[in-house]
Amino acid sequence: MLTPEEIALGRRCIDLALAEGASAVRVTLNKSLTDTVGMLSGEVDKVTHSLDRSITLCIFADGRYGTFSLNRLEETAMQAFIRKAVATVRMLAPDPYRHMPDKDRKVTDALTGREAGRFDPAYEAIDTGKRLELARQSSIWPRKDSLEKGFSLLSEEGEYSDSIYDTLVLDSDGLYARHTLTSYSVYYEATVADLDGNRFSGFWWDSSPFLSGILPAIGSCARKALDRAVAQIGPGPHPGGRISLAVQAGCASKLLDPLLTALSGFSIQQKNSFLLDCLGKKVFSERFTVRDMPRKVGSPAGKWFDSEGIATFDAPIIEGGVVKQYFINTYIAAKTGLAPTVEDITHPVVESTGDCRSEEDILRLLGEGILVTGFNGGNSNSATGDFSYGIEGFAFSGGKITHPVREMLMTGNFITLWQHLAAVADDARPCATYAIPTLAFTDVDVR
Amino acid sequence: MIKDKQYYLDLFGVDEEILRRLAAEGIARGGDYTDLFFESSTLGMLLLRDGEVTSGGEHLDYGVGIRVLSGEKTGYAYAESTTPADMLSAARAASAIAGGGAPGDLRVNDLLRLSRDRADSFAEAAANGSRLVRKYFPGAPNPSADRYPFRQNWADTPMREFVPFLNRLDNAVRTRDSRVEKVKAMLSYDVRDVLMFNSLEELKYDTRPLGSLSVTVIFSQNGKYDTKSVSRSFRTGAEMLTDSLLEEMAAEVVKGVDERFDARRPKGGEMSVVMGAGASGILLHEAMGHAFEADFNRKGQSVFSSRMGQRICPEGINILDDATLKGNRGALNFDDEGVPGQKTYMVEDGILTSYLHDRISARSFGVSPTGNGRRESFRYPPIPRMRATYMESGNADPESIIASVRSGIYVDDFSNGQVKIGEGDFTFYVRSGFLIEDGRLTMPVKDVNIIGNGPRALADIRAVGNDLRVDDGAWTCGKEQNVPVSCGIPTVLVSKLTVGGE
Repeated sequence: MLTPEEIALGRRCIDLALAEGASAVRVTLNKSLTDTVGMLSGEVDKVTHSLDRSITLCIFADGRYGTFSLNRLEETAMQAFIRKAVATVRMLAPDPYRHMPDKDRKVTDALTGREAGRFDPAYEAIDTGKRLELARQSSIWPRKDSLEKGFSLLSEEGEYSDSIYDTLVLDSDGLYARHTLTSYSVYYEATVADLDGNRFSGFWWDSSPFLSGILPAIGSCARKALDRAVAQIGPGPHPGGRISLAVQAGCASKLLDPLLTALSGFSIQQKNSFLLDCLGKKVFSERFTVRDMPRKVGSPAGKWFDSEGIATFDAPIIEGGVVKQYFINTYIAAKTGLAPTVEDITHPVVESTGDCRSEEDILRLLGEGILVTGFNGGNSNSATGDFSYGIEGFAFSGGKITHPVREMLMTGNFITLWQHLAAVADDARPCATYAIPTLAFTDVDVR
Repeated sequence: MIKDKQYYLDLFGVDEEILRRLAAEGIARGGDYTDLFFESSTLGMLLLRDGEVTSGGEHLDYGVGIRVLSGEKTGYAYAESTTPADMLSAARAASAIAGGGAPGDLRVNDLLRLSRDRADSFAEAAANGSRLVRKYFPGAPNPSADRYPFRQNWADTPMREFVPFLNRLDNAVRTRDSRVEKVKAMLSYDVRDVLMFNSLEELKYDTRPLGSLSVTVIFSQNGKYDTKSVSRSFRTGAEMLTDSLLEEMAAEVVKGVDERFDARRPKGGEMSVVMGAGASGILLHEAMGHAFEADFNRKGQSVFSSRMGQRICPEGINILDDATLKGNRGALNFDDEGVPGQKTYMVEDGILTSYLHDRISARSFGVSPTGNGRRESFRYPPIPRMRATYMESGNADPESIIASVRSGIYVDDFSNGQVKIGEGDFTFYVRSGFLIEDGRLTMPVKDVNIIGNGPRALADIRAVGNDLRVDDGAWTCGKEQNVPVSCGIPTVLVSKLTVGGE
């Protein structure tokens, strides 16, 4: 997708920056094309066509560092921009920890951009007519009358979209790292009213790097959104207290993401992490293992290198409750003395505990509690790990769902929460960047 | 700041004849209305960490977004260059929504007249009682009415001039509290030149400055760490970096640190909540603001969809969304559809009187657009968005409001919120506050989420203080696209909300 001329311009930027006095330069070229067809209640509502290009320069000069970007890929505009950029870097304070990564840590096997297996040749045959056809096929609004039993479907809104992304990282030490991917996705949201006029909404989405992977979801996504809305009709009370929680596959990233942020080198160096000084220590339940799997070919999140061009690798992040890895880039490594790894996680995979395969197994194991199917707001304290989130879902008893619940809150501390991880199923959604199966927690504060 | 028209035409390399041709292109394929949104932005950032300003950068973004409306349907495309060929290509891609064939032999003047005739017919067809519907917004921008004049353009000022300010801020924080472990201070600015033209031949232009300063501090005490952040953001130039701002932020970020280390989770459950003046305006933003955005109501998704003209909260309460606060983060001379920024009352004396409209929803409801059509950048079509959302002062003394609560919680420091439009369930996250016991503030609390239902929370307002304050923090609303907003409220008592706790 990036043209030879655009790549040549990227190389020219390196030369220009070096000529202006930079000691080292990294250039990232990004180009993407996204087409979207929005549907509203069975009709095409919006068609968008988005072509983006940008060039980002990381400039090292006189022991100083700065980042700059622009989207006008014309050499005349570039020259003045780079001159100003180098001058700006030179007025910053010197930073002895800023330098380019070691050459032997950089990726060498990302030359075509297609090594991660996320590029679909079928993309090139998709045209506007096909997009409109797929979008129209995805709506269930034309069958509205036959679907409405005990509720009315007030609104159905969704979209089909496809994209191609091309990223190339070059640097003044000879790095050439390319990543090309295609993506197809479908999203729907349904709003229904019960017989008393009370409103409920539900959404569903799916995505795939391949057209063949998204086609099954084209026919089922809107129906799943509707089913999830209808399932919430008739919410009842729940007494709360310290109870067991099952967290549905695909919605638990809110509980994992703060852990990954706490493992970031920047958080550690700034002492803004509740996992400070935890490397090599058992902090969580021994049933908790999460691995980074960036090298899984064809996965929805595989990538061969990070933003510095460092080669990614499959590795445990937390294994049996023991913290195995911080995410340490070149800068933080120099600043803290920690060994460098990669800048951040690419494709976290939470490992099944093997004793439960499905959501039903998890409910049976826990017996009684709340199945969380979505979060509504909330946040956490990055220094202490304290959190409080709005939750919605279903009460269950005897391993069976009894009624929907809403307007409830789960509150606690991440370390304690993950110490109370009881089981992990084996049902992670294949489309998810964060592969997290249904989770079982005990002893969680819910009000 | 509004400069002269030629400045903007030269910046984007266009003239009025090209603008008219592009607008006509969308109409030629069957569209009703076309608009063009040119934008050139300069974003700068400086970061102080570990006592030094060691990171910084600048980012330039430039392009034009072209939207074609066919009825209430939208076609949208953009170009990152403003050569006639690239813009024409984008206009043709956007006009695909109309589904028409190749252009006929109508001339530019005929096509633009057609667009105007269609706009006339929409308004005439609107079922709007006898209310006046404003259809057109002609006239040149008026520099003397500028809502964000500035003296020192961020983009023209060498970054080195900002470095000493960040160093002094770092020092001011550290000298105030010996428990300061780390200080991170970030200065960012965003200066945008925009030019808007549409098939009704309305031409608008604007220069929008936005300066933001934030400071995050990590404190340590007896082996424990905690964090606090403070931010300020204004539509103004670099003259915002004053000594008084520095002192105010340094004082605020270390204020209440004793309480943070002493704070505990309250016993959770349903209780009275006193929302402190200022940042508690997040309640309005989440509990009702989004549900009043007219796109959600046009699509029948909002919990307030069928409640126009009805009482939704007690008498005496007025809630508005305002683009006219000079220098405010939510201020706008024009929205991103060229509609003048204005003050929009959504609730008057407790009655729902207006949604927040862009041109599409205004046409659908048969009312005038309210200047709420906003977008993150030229890459996005505009949608109804809030600006500065606040509640007007009431009559109660804030201290008497707290004194009236036997058991509850007082909150005044927040991070984020969220709402489910269909159900109206909203949440916001409280970074700090106090328990209220027998009318007095007692135990400090922190890090709890509060959840409620919009219509019920509005109906459960029991007292409104006389101390309206609009918060100057760097609030950003993330509905599909990120836009700067602000919020405010006087001290307010809500009789029942659910508070997270142990």
